[in-house]
Amino acid sequence: MTKVIISVLGKDRPGIVAAVSRVLFERDCNIENVSQTILQTEFAGIFIAGIPAGVTAETLHQGLTAGLADFKMYVQVKPLAENGSPAPPPVAEPFVITTSGPDAKGLVARITAVIARYQVNVTNLQAVFKGGSEPGDNIMIYEVDVPTHIDQQRFRQDLQDQAAALGLRLTIQHRDIFSAMNRI
Amino acid sequence: MLSYQEIISTLEMLKNEHLDVRTVTLGINLFDCASHDLGTLQTRIRDKIGRIAEALVPVCDQIGDKYGIPIVNKRIAVSPIAVVCAPLGPDGMVAIARTLDACAREMNVDFIGGFSALVEKGIAAGDRSLITALPEALAETERVCASVNVASTKAGINMDAVLLMGRAIKAAAERTAGRDGLACAKLCVFANIPQDVPFMAGAYLGVGEPDSVINVGVSGPGVVKKAVERALASHPDLDLGQLSDLIKRTACKVTRVGELIGREVAELLEIRFGVVDLSLAPTPNVGDSVGEIFQSLGLLAIGVPGTTAALALLNDAVKKGGAFASSHVGGLSGAFIPVSEDLNISDAAAAGHLSLEKLEAITSVCSVGLDMVALPGDTSAETLSAIIADEMAIGVINKKTTATRLIPVPGKKAGERAHFGGLLGESVIMAVNNGVGPNAFIRLGGLIPAPIQSLTN
Repeated sequence: MTKVIISVLGKDRPGIVAAVSRVLFERDCNIENVSQTILQTEFAGIFIAGIPAGVTAETLHQGLTAGLADFKMYVQVKPLAENGSPAPPPVAEPFVITTSGPDAKGLVARITAVIARYQVNVTNLQAVFKGGSEPGDNIMIYEVDVPTHIDQQRFRQDLQDQAAALGLRLTIQHRDIFSAMNRI
Repeated sequence: MLSYQEIISTLEMLKNEHLDVRTVTLGINLFDCASHDLGTLQTRIRDKIGRIAEALVPVCDQIGDKYGIPIVNKRIAVSPIAVVCAPLGPDGMVAIARTLDACAREMNVDFIGGFSALVEKGIAAGDRSLITALPEALAETERVCASVNVASTKAGINMDAVLLMGRAIKAAAERTAGRDGLACAKLCVFANIPQDVPFMAGAYLGVGEPDSVINVGVSGPGVVKKAVERALASHPDLDLGQLSDLIKRTACKVTRVGELIGREVAELLEIRFGVVDLSLAPTPNVGDSVGEIFQSLGLLAIGVPGTTAALALLNDAVKKGGAFASSHVGGLSGAFIPVSEDLNISDAAAAGHLSLEKLEAITSVCSVGLDMVALPGDTSAETLSAIIADEMAIGVINKKTTATRLIPVPGKKAGERAHFGGLLGESVIMAVNNGVGPNAFIRLGGLIPAPIQSLTN
């Protein structure tokens, strides 16, 4: 069984997930992973599904587009690349970077530019921008994997410098501290 | 994936509620340094402390950075010096205190504890030398902390030692008269002293402990206070059972921080991890006060009627939360109520809400005792001893630790202020009933026998 990755985007309303999963079920596809979220009023869902012989990404796209016609959703379906033998990822430790401060354009771009420069991978990003000047109203949370071989002090300093230039307060802490305190 | 709320609540505790790892204390056994020769002893002590403690501060700083949680104090606790240096006289003991002080400076730690003696049942030669040396040792050194255990539930109260300690405190205060008796702020008198307490001035490495061990003291009065305030703001009808549960859960979170960080420091130093001591230890900062918790629970101030019940609730909830969070909770684990170190408690004393007598009463349900209490300079040594004896009796009868850290401030009277500086804070001098006259009871000496509760075998 080959796999496809399906992206569904559009205005949120009840029934979207049911419609997607019904189309997949009718075509004997097996949903393996799903992640969905709602940002403000917009729905975003990603599905990875195994598809049987005879079903292609194209025919599935047609089916989903028809099945979601009432919802006016944007749908994309593409085959999932085989894993092959990619280079092993570097040894890394999970950290959480948070920034808070007044809203402005380019905050995420500039912070992630520093993160990318050190080959640090962002594994999850949550940004809550209410657009105000109250630091508590505008918070970004980056979960990242920091390779152990990089210069941690310089990485931290560069992040702090960038945050200061943007008027943000930045913290970087090992993920374990959040897990230890909140999860038993 | 962590939730937004988990991350924000943790950051709030750190940023606005003063959550920190208050102390990482490295215990070092010095028994293998023993010698009749002072010079040999000093060399061995310097070598051993230097070898084991060299990386303590850099490792703590590194781990503090990694988790974004400050490790405020790094300290060393050693085996009771009265035993390690038993052959020495008082002069030799003072010399050892200087050696320890120099080690503390060299290792860049805030305090070194263990200038201690255990005399609950009797005073050996080394113990007597150390107690005799206390005033000079504490006045002449900066970072050495001392403790003397004069009572236990199993042994009773050694009233001869209690009398000696009253005199030692008086002499130590006089030797530091220009600094409001500061030397006394580094001296605790204990009943039932724990062997693994990481907080000063009582920290020492007990005889039953390993060659070296990392003990961690976590604090969080601000976190508890904010948790209570938030809960009552959103649910004003919460009862004390529900508030106790809230404090318990908060204490659990705080303890887990200590365990995580303590274990990592221990691992990097290749030293065994000992215990987490979850004590609500205040600092003289607004928002980092145990006294403010009483106000958040609805009391006018610490010391007014209701205080003892509130402290009993608080202490119990803290212990329950800590016990669930870690299998290795030790030390004192409760609420400290050091008068001068807690701005709110100090203010309550100044406003007349908190008297020495009420303070003594509430120590029957708290972790420590009469801690950092400034007294009039003319309080007699016998009266100091009598106050100590009262506090020891509370600990002995209730099978718990109690202690005193009393500071008779030379030349100052009740109502005036004493200033100790830094974390030691400042406080109004509390009045002592009948503080000046003789006290024949104390002079009787001897051993107040162990109570019936001691017959548990």
